[in-house]
Amino acid sequence: MTNSKPKYQLTDKDFKQINRRSLFGFQLGWNYERMQNSGYLYTILPQLRKIYGDDSPELKEMMKTHMQFFNTSNFFNTIVTGIDLAVEENEGIEGKDTVTSLKVGLMGPFAAIGDSIFASLVPTIFGALAASMAAQGNPIGVVIWVIASLLICVFRWKQLHFAYDKGVSLVTDMRDSLNALTDSATVLGVFMVGALVATMVNIKFAWVPQIGKVTMNVQNNLDMIIPKLLPAAVVAFVYWLLGKKGMTSTKAILIVLVLCVILGGIGVIAKI
Amino acid sequence: MVWWQILLLTIYAGLEILDELQIYSSLNTPVGAGLIAGIIMGDLQTGLIIGASMQLMVLGVGTFGGASKIDATTGTVLATAFSTSVRGMSPQTAISSIAVPVAAIMVELDVLARFANTYFAHRIDHLIDQDKINYSAVERNVLYGAIPWSLSRAVPVFIALAFGRGLVQTIANALNGDLMWLGTGLTVAGATLPAVGFAILLRYLPVKKHIAYLILGFTITTLFSVIFSNIQALGAGVAAANKSFTATFNGLPMLAIAMIGLALAILHYKSIPINKAAAKNVVASSDNASSKIDDNKGEITDDEL
Repeated sequence: MTNSKPKYQLTDKDFKQINRRSLFGFQLGWNYERMQNSGYLYTILPQLRKIYGDDSPELKEMMKTHMQFFNTSNFFNTIVTGIDLAVEENEGIEGKDTVTSLKVGLMGPFAAIGDSIFASLVPTIFGALAASMAAQGNPIGVVIWVIASLLICVFRWKQLHFAYDKGVSLVTDMRDSLNALTDSATVLGVFMVGALVATMVNIKFAWVPQIGKVTMNVQNNLDMIIPKLLPAAVVAFVYWLLGKKGMTSTKAILIVLVLCVILGGIGVIAKI
Repeated sequence: MVWWQILLLTIYAGLEILDELQIYSSLNTPVGAGLIAGIIMGDLQTGLIIGASMQLMVLGVGTFGGASKIDATTGTVLATAFSTSVRGMSPQTAISSIAVPVAAIMVELDVLARFANTYFAHRIDHLIDQDKINYSAVERNVLYGAIPWSLSRAVPVFIALAFGRGLVQTIANALNGDLMWLGTGLTVAGATLPAVGFAILLRYLPVKKHIAYLILGFTITTLFSVIFSNIQALGAGVAAANKSFTATFNGLPMLAIAMIGLALAILHYKSIPINKAAAKNVVASSDNASSKIDDNKGEITDDEL
């Protein structure tokens, strides 16, 4: 029995190669049918060849296995890879079912965590900072974001070995501390959105209706209630709009575009 | 616009999508595109203003589950190029008349690129089915995926820059002439679009749970921004009236506001004692679990010996 198990142990060189391929090749083959399948195979193909040996039936079998549907966050994919390789290295082809269920079971949760942190929170916080500086003609905010992105790449580089060492236990391990961290990061995200609404939506009421002999300055009256009420109202309106059935973000953007052209064109609202 | 500017912008458009798929250096984002297109066009200010607005518009639009998203980066590149090279096209007008429509249309080309890559995935299937697998061909067919991705951005940008200038000039003339009201409306729309981005983002964030922080962020910032801008206006007024008044006042620094938000986030993190205790327990128990796995590993090597 033990003879059929592979004897190859991954080296530091292997980890470097996987990380290089993950950072620069993982998503290039993204396609509608099976999404990141070919990318996943690409990142670990050299190691699979070492584990199973070229032209062996096991290698062919595992290559086919890894060409099945796969899609997760490209910021967390090597965690799945690390756990996968820890299993394959020990059990070889006998670990095929474990590997398949590991991949299917982990890709969903890590896609969710990855999307909420790296596709939503990080771009919100650094994007907001970069944009509010850029709006004043200052490129420093973009530089800060680039530095942060490079630090995230270091994190992506480190996690493979970490996941490989910890194996399957890693998943339960990370869940709770990640939840607390994500929840706190959303506090910063929500706070920043509030701050951005107050500073980055530069519109006001230009409408000055005449009621009898009294001219009413709508914007001035609103400012006495609270400044920036119009931007807050627009955000609330779009938020409500997005809750409608069949509404997409692109549709919402086009609707607001048309409404603003009309209201701006007839002079109800104006740019500050 | 001269030929080398068109060439550089086309190369950037082809590379930025690869950057987004690979290391995500953030130079692929709209505000990064504004910076680079601004440098190429020799007008950093315009690039940054357009990039900033487009960045805010798509703040909440991530690529969730591999769905195509509105391509604000390409929109920014074209809007910056035309705003700096066409007379009478202000950044605000360029945002709503060029950047947004381009970004919306580009979604279709993103879909096309993702479809094209299905072909390469099938070629890999075919290669694996051979008796003798050509491993380097398998790897090549993964990397070929970069070509549809890159072309899906570079080709439309090149065509628009090389042949679109006359059309954009005609539009700009109309917006400053007969269609003045439309030009004004588009400017207002350009200023409003960030609001859409914020609303989209709030849909993805747990707003109901953290509503207090949303109110705090809005209120603190709105009060400070009024104070800061009024002091700036006052300073400018006094300086104009009296030449011996030399102090200058800056606008509200956003980084300071972000620091307040960071402090609140830290306080929130520290106020989750139950979760943290649970996490510690899990860590402790998983340490046991991992040591068990280590034991298993040990057994296997023993068997092999």
